[in-house]
Amino acid sequence: MSNATQGNLQKLLSEGKFVVTGECGPPRGANTEIIAEKADLLKGYVDAVNVTDNQTAIVRMSSISASVHLIGQGLEPIMQMVCRDRNRIAMQSDILGAWSLGIKNILCLSGDHQSFGSQPDALNVFDIDSMNLINMVKIMRDEGRDMSGFELNDPPRMFIGAAANPFADPFEYRVLRLAKKIDAGADFIQTQCIYNLDRFKEWMRLAREEGLTEKVHILAGVTPMKSAGMAKFMKNRVAGMDVPDEMIKRMESVQKDKAAEEGIKICLETIEDLRKIDGVHGIHIMAIEWEQKVPEIVEKAGLLPRPKEFS
Amino acid sequence: MNIDFKPKITIFHCINAFNEAYLQPLDVGKKFEVKVVNLACSSMVKDVFLLRAFEAGADAVAVLVCPEGHCRYVEGNIRAKKRIGWLQNLLDEIGLNGKRLYLFNTSAKNKPAIKDIIKQIMSDMAKIGRNPAA
Amino acid sequence: MIVGEQKPVAEIKELLAPYKKVLILGCNTCVKTCFAGGEDETAVLASALRLGFKKDGKDMEINEFTVERQCENEFIKEAAPMVAQNDAVLSLACGAGVQDIARLFMSTPVLPGVNTTFIGIQESNGIFTEECSGCGNCGLAVFGGICPITRCSKKLLNGPCGGSKNGICEINPDTLCAWNLIIERLTELGQLDNLRRYIPPKNWQTSLSGGPRRLVREDHII
Repeated sequence: MSNATQGNLQKLLSEGKFVVTGECGPPRGANTEIIAEKADLLKGYVDAVNVTDNQTAIVRMSSISASVHLIGQGLEPIMQMVCRDRNRIAMQSDILGAWSLGIKNILCLSGDHQSFGSQPDALNVFDIDSMNLINMVKIMRDEGRDMSGFELNDPPRMFIGAAANPFADPFEYRVLRLAKKIDAGADFIQTQCIYNLDRFKEWMRLAREEGLTEKVHILAGVTPMKSAGMAKFMKNRVAGMDVPDEMIKRMESVQKDKAAEEGIKICLETIEDLRKIDGVHGIHIMAIEWEQKVPEIVEKAGLLPRPKEFS
Repeated sequence: MNIDFKPKITIFHCINAFNEAYLQPLDVGKKFEVKVVNLACSSMVKDVFLLRAFEAGADAVAVLVCPEGHCRYVEGNIRAKKRIGWLQNLLDEIGLNGKRLYLFNTSAKNKPAIKDIIKQIMSDMAKIGRNPAA
Repeated sequence: MIVGEQKPVAEIKELLAPYKKVLILGCNTCVKTCFAGGEDETAVLASALRLGFKKDGKDMEINEFTVERQCENEFIKEAAPMVAQNDAVLSLACGAGVQDIARLFMSTPVLPGVNTTFIGIQESNGIFTEECSGCGNCGLAVFGGICPITRCSKKLLNGPCGGSKNGICEINPDTLCAWNLIIERLTELGQLDNLRRYIPPKNWQTSLSGGPRRLVREDHII
């Protein structure tokens, strides 16, 4: 961690501040105006923004280039990189390029399988897994070498993130996996979006017990529900999600035109609960197709103003 | 519907499900022709035997097996059923029409059953016509 | 065994259309076990093709023959007389067998009648599963006898992804999560600590990625 050249996100976390990160999906085309619009919504409300990498295996502008556009808009990106589409050679190459373009944060993920996407015919890569990727960036950063041992001129000193899913199976193994990611080199963790507070608290408790919260910054994921239909979809159709029945009932109990409001309410309650958990150092808001709600959520959660970016 | 040809029917049967003698009361040779093959167990009806029956000119092939749950060898009739289902698809794929291949559950005690079986086959053949590969 | 599935008969008919005299050549090893191209399947296909071509009014002679294996010259040679009498061969062996036939009978077109899919087992009657992808460097000892390269849809080496739910892989409700199986097995064996170990990036040179492979056993070459 000490070798990373501090971007805003890292600086705030090292100062013990509670951070807020958002998410931006690049456009399905080369239209940079869309990025500018999203940036406008998030500016001043988040400390850094995740830029997804061909999420759900659907072709979008690359996360490295969308990240560069966001920098141009005055935001700090967290470039996501998945293992599905690139081999280690391409990844190291892109990491060097990303660093040279001013990208300071990377989130290392396995990636959704291509069968989910719009081009399931494609051959996948998965040359290395997310654990290897985390370690690869760490070695490039801390040892200044690529994977062949070659000394890099101006090595990338990135802040390394990984994902964690307290709700995937098997539960007992999930903390072991978190520990392994930290050992591999993860500086910060973003979790899958949380609806089942009890299960999340239990996971945090186990993480604290293993001393993991001393070694890594955990950012808790939240996603506001737009409707009861969305809640049910997430419960039944999205892999690795835990949506308690009480939440579905609550969303169903209100009138359809009041559902969005209720969803925001639940989100705010969740954030309030999460802030109280020892070891949670921030929240990661994934407002899928609802980015315009982020300012409202951040404000009503009492998380404004965001600390000004240092220059 | 009137039938304008004399269907050639090949009957494969498990010896516990049918006896060739039951055909006697029917006018074999007048409106239809019959060849009979008996088997110790209906599961012995290999796919290739049924296809070769069609190659030999059969317009319809009927496999007579015991009622489900009553197979002397427990699953013989189930295996026959699965195989015939598969073969019906293959016959459709090559354009011969899977409806020419039949599976009937009969008991050896039910002598008159063969009358209805032949009747049904004749009615179907009137609609489907001759074996196009005969 | 090598598992494959016979091509749809319509596709096979199209492959055979240019010829007048064809040999359907079966193989009695792997493809027999998975019901794709053994002696029985060869007989059925030959008969079905005869019926199908006759119905189409096409003049076509379909012959049939089966050898023990189509991946060894010793057995392939037995088919030589029959191959010589036909315009083309439709091999029902796996892709390796088809190519070996083509090697030996260079002047006869050899066509594939089976889609070869994977190295696998017969898990239960009529159900076959993929088990091994031939990576060339077997690490099954670490993973409790369950291969994450083959059976994890993402070839992950260091544990499951976030898409594993109730022991099922995210890509398909019929696909078991290999990592869930590994964790269960290692737990049973008391070896769950194997998973604390960091597995570095795999060396794929021993796999197909390093180019088509070749094994030379000098001690067996005279």
